[in-house]
Amino acid sequence: MTRTIHLNLDINGKGYDLDVEPRVTLLDALRDHLVLTGTKKGCDQGQCGACTCHVDGRRVLSCLTLAAQVEGRQVETIEGLSGADGTLHAVQAAFLEQDAFQCGYCTPGQIMSAVACIREGHAGSDAEIREYMSGNLCRCGAYNSIVAAVRQAAQAVVPATKEMADA
Amino acid sequence: MRDFSYLRASTLDEARQAVLQAGASILAGGTTLIDLAKCGVAEPETVVDISHLEGLSGIEVTPQSVTIGALSRMSDVADHSGIQAEMPAVSESLLLAASAQLRNMATIGGNVMQRTRCPYFRDPGTFPACNKRNPGSGCSALGGITRNHAVLGTSEHCLASNPGDLAVALVAFDAVVDLGSRRVPFDEFFLLPGDTPDRETVLQPGEMIIGLSIPKSAAAKNSTYLKVRDRQSYEFAAASAAVGLELEDDGRTVRDIRVGLGGVATKPWRARAVEQALIGKVLDDATIKAASLLAMEGAVAQSDNTYKIDLVPRVVARAIETVSTDKSGGLA
Amino acid sequence: MTIMPPRKHGDASDGMVGGRLTRFEGSLKLTGAATYALEYPIDNLAHAALVQSTIAAGRVVSVDVTRALASPGVLMVLTPEDDLGLRVSADWQGNRPEDKPYHPLPREVQFNGQSIAAVIAESREQATEAAKLVVVTYEETSPVMSIDDPAAGEGKLMDNLTIGWGDAEAALAASPVRIESEYSTPREYHCAMEPHGLTAKWDGDELTIWEPSQWSHGMARMYAEWFAMDYEKVRIISPYIGGGFGSKGQPLAYGAVAVAAARKLGRPVQLAVTRPQNFTSYGGRAATRQTIALGASEDGVLQAIVHRGRTETSVYMDYPEQTGAATPILYKVENFSSQSRVVPVNTVTPGALRGPGKNPSAYGIESAMEELAYKLDMDPLELRLKNYADHDYQSGKPWSTRMLREALTQGAAAFGWEKRSQQPRSMRDGKTLIGWGIGCGTFPVIRAPSEAMIRVLANGRVEVVSGSIDMGQGTYTILAQTAAEALGVPVSQVDVLLGDSRMPGSSIAGGSMLAGSITGAVHKAAIAARDELIGLALNETGSPFRDTGANTLSLVGGRIEASRGGGPSLSLQELMQALGRDELEIRRNTLAENAQTPDDQKQAWTTMSKVQGPTSGDLSMHSWAAHFVEVRIDEDFGTIRVSRMVSAFDCGRLYNPKLVESQWKGGIIMGIGQALLEEGVVDPRNGRTINSNMADYLVPTNADIPDIEVISVGVPDLDASTLGGKGVGEVGIVGVAPAIANAVFHATGKRIRDLPITLEKLM
Repeated sequence: MTRTIHLNLDINGKGYDLDVEPRVTLLDALRDHLVLTGTKKGCDQGQCGACTCHVDGRRVLSCLTLAAQVEGRQVETIEGLSGADGTLHAVQAAFLEQDAFQCGYCTPGQIMSAVACIREGHAGSDAEIREYMSGNLCRCGAYNSIVAAVRQAAQAVVPATKEMADA
Repeated sequence: MRDFSYLRASTLDEARQAVLQAGASILAGGTTLIDLAKCGVAEPETVVDISHLEGLSGIEVTPQSVTIGALSRMSDVADHSGIQAEMPAVSESLLLAASAQLRNMATIGGNVMQRTRCPYFRDPGTFPACNKRNPGSGCSALGGITRNHAVLGTSEHCLASNPGDLAVALVAFDAVVDLGSRRVPFDEFFLLPGDTPDRETVLQPGEMIIGLSIPKSAAAKNSTYLKVRDRQSYEFAAASAAVGLELEDDGRTVRDIRVGLGGVATKPWRARAVEQALIGKVLDDATIKAASLLAMEGAVAQSDNTYKIDLVPRVVARAIETVSTDKSGGLA
Repeated sequence: MTIMPPRKHGDASDGMVGGRLTRFEGSLKLTGAATYALEYPIDNLAHAALVQSTIAAGRVVSVDVTRALASPGVLMVLTPEDDLGLRVSADWQGNRPEDKPYHPLPREVQFNGQSIAAVIAESREQATEAAKLVVVTYEETSPVMSIDDPAAGEGKLMDNLTIGWGDAEAALAASPVRIESEYSTPREYHCAMEPHGLTAKWDGDELTIWEPSQWSHGMARMYAEWFAMDYEKVRIISPYIGGGFGSKGQPLAYGAVAVAAARKLGRPVQLAVTRPQNFTSYGGRAATRQTIALGASEDGVLQAIVHRGRTETSVYMDYPEQTGAATPILYKVENFSSQSRVVPVNTVTPGALRGPGKNPSAYGIESAMEELAYKLDMDPLELRLKNYADHDYQSGKPWSTRMLREALTQGAAAFGWEKRSQQPRSMRDGKTLIGWGIGCGTFPVIRAPSEAMIRVLANGRVEVVSGSIDMGQGTYTILAQTAAEALGVPVSQVDVLLGDSRMPGSSIAGGSMLAGSITGAVHKAAIAARDELIGLALNETGSPFRDTGANTLSLVGGRIEASRGGGPSLSLQELMQALGRDELEIRRNTLAENAQTPDDQKQAWTTMSKVQGPTSGDLSMHSWAAHFVEVRIDEDFGTIRVSRMVSAFDCGRLYNPKLVESQWKGGIIMGIGQALLEEGVVDPRNGRTINSNMADYLVPTNADIPDIEVISVGVPDLDASTLGGKGVGEVGIVGVAPAIANAVFHATGKRIRDLPITLEKLM
């Protein structure tokens, strides 16, 4: 018998109960156990960025994170990004407009990374965006459009944030 | 990954007790342990999660030094304004490492403890021989593909290079590793492979890194980290150098210089011969070039990594030029 | 009854063909709602993990599965001992010479990393871990590690790839200016972001497979043949594919294993090929070596090309990577000779990777042309224009369309080529050497029949249904545009269903042939549907048009009305109501009228036997490209960064320029990786690919890629396809690597003839 533990995970603001082996990664918990398959498995070795999601607001790789580790933390995945009514997040909308994806497989990771990149203040220039988005490989080669989308979304998001701060 | 049990430590003492158990491994950021567990290199019985411990993630800048808690994330250290101001090479070495996501996960303690990227070490299923994994079994890298292996500090038992970036800056600037009960100079913390490549550090059972302390210095304040690699980002170094420089009041003569090397040695490497050759000297191109060649003293290349012998002095020289260049753009 | 001609192609509005419609399925991909193969929740699923060989050649003597079987959750271990009862399938052409057994877990080991056992367990983790406990004992034989292994020999001459005209050897000998060089490329890998894998589920004698597929019908046929079952009983579901680049066009050994395990176990089985296993579960681009000799007059007129190619293949199949594919058609030359050999080594059989053949071929000839230009001290652009091919010298046929001259001149203008200085090492910025280079590319127009269904629903929505696939090229989008335009409805009224072998047949999404093929079928079906709607509206009881005396109707903007105006104007929904119809379904294909039997159709959708090459008619049809590159090289470190790039393409008419530009750039970026980073590294002692992961097999990151400018110089080519487009997907990569190698030479004065150009080669 393998050992299982009971976890209660906070994912996209919702509580999920699951019984898994301690060795189950956050990525496999999302995909295999919770049917939250928007988070993608590209390498399962921390080398491609497709599994990027947010833990306590920071972008991390879910393939190198144990599900057990994030109990008590807030996990956000691509499924939690758009509005309940399906309205796209500014970054998603910019990706659509700029055609910043082709096959779509690295895309959720790119978007979660881009949201964080902007929030971190690392979208100040194209060169900065390129560097801070380099942890997300895209084999279709959508990099030009990804940079354009992040730039566009940053311009849309930052003034909005500033307004909120000013208000 | 082998099946293991998960223990979330709620105090440091609990963690220390837990890791004394046979087969226990510390889990912090996870970027090394989970990776190696998937490769079959790490096979923990129990994973002791210390990532929720309080009080080990502070960064403090005092008049004498910068102290960093072991659980500080790479990104927090890299972005810390005090560290950027006092020791830019430390911040730069972190920003040039891994990716934004990995830097958000990996802790400083874990970063120091990261294992080699030697492909033979990482593939036990195909290459049973590895003295690091399995003492006495041999070294599969010898006679294999060695483009990314070490040329400094190697032995006939192991060629594996230390992949760290931060560690290069830490060894250059005399960091001290805080193990709680004792403090170990960074250069002494790591062991050369010799005939026991499985022993990489002086850590004793039950010991863990609590934090790091890096003394402030004029050299650290005027420092840079230069990393050379084929890919622009998200790649380990072909060669790297952390260099800090302090000049005499004449603005020309070297009072203090620190040179750390990465990507080329079995442990974070301090190029003291280069430093000694330059202290008291006036920097000019020829002096820098001649001294930089000393970085490769004692280097032993394999068939695929001879280029490092040529590359490293150039990296060192460029980094020295960078820190010796004044604001007007010329050599100081 | 007269019917209005369809609307002219190229309507500027985004929803029509030629418009810049955003990606049709975009929102699903952006929100994580698009379901890829391994993302369907399936009850009672078991998980399989592969055990791969760790030697390059030999025989499995025994497999000890005791510990694996005893491991928690393990249900079954399959080894070479198990006869899975499979039969060899026919090849892509449909040839099945003899009926013999197929062993996806063979006893004979032909390469390191070959699947030889599989563990099936309750969970993914249990299977993966138990797979490490399988102990294999081998009897090793002496392997051939690579094309460079002295034991590899010269290889086998591929007679069908010998090309020649004139007297190349004599003309070369007589040429006053000659160059000769050898160019080599390493093993390269697809590295699609979605790893391979599948879920297989049996329901009685029916089999459903969720697997990323570039060819749902072809793969269903091959599975059916393996398992000796009716083609109709196999269903491949693949609506979203996380990149393929040539790797997902056929079922592979692991697929057979998963399906067999599911049958044996009586449970659905999922097999996820790990990233390292992806490097040996199917072949990447073969390592190539080619020698090219060029002879020219003193004023730079090509007199002769002599090409000799050698490429790696496996010890069990001849796969020629055709390094002589672009060589004969890029330039005007009266004397030509090309021979190709395959060299069997202990590797998985190489396969098609973006721009197969043309890619390494262009690397050779385009490097050689630049070497000739420097030998002549001539601007490489001028040399290319001087030797411009006015027709196809290989087939002797005229080009259908060839705007390569425009690509070269417009690309050069956009790049600022006229500011270039000829001398190597003549452009620098401090310690940074700057170099400019050109590389031309080409890819043939390959045509294949397809079929499509248009369904008009009672609610007025229009469905386009096709078993073709979208792995990111934009099939969903362009089919919506094609149907919207041909039918005369807004694109927002159209839905597109793809990626299911039960849906209408289509060509493979490979060889850049799908878009031209499937838009032709959808266009035909949509025109027929429109005609049918108009016919019904004019003639059916209940139609308000029946008694208007109109003899023509038009369908524009989703409304059907008299062409002259006046009278009723109905939406499709209103028309369907008036006609009392729930659904109107029209299915059309582009097979010849005299080849419409069920056998013809099955052959057309499941084999390559009806595929037509670029010179099968009276014309020679190809896409063309000219790439202009600037590199910046640190002269101390040898590190190379591509800093600027302009590429001009002739791909005929673009169905959706926004998506085409993305695809071109994607090809270019893969070419940058090929030139500077990508190389499968093989341990010479055991044939293991030791960098079989995404950290050590380097593909470009975002930071490696500058802003790339792409220009379209194409004109509609109605010989190439129904709507005038030529292939887009592959030509983007072809010519990029030589352009970069040429720029590196211009920057440094060093000619690197073996890819990738890593830093130590420039130090």
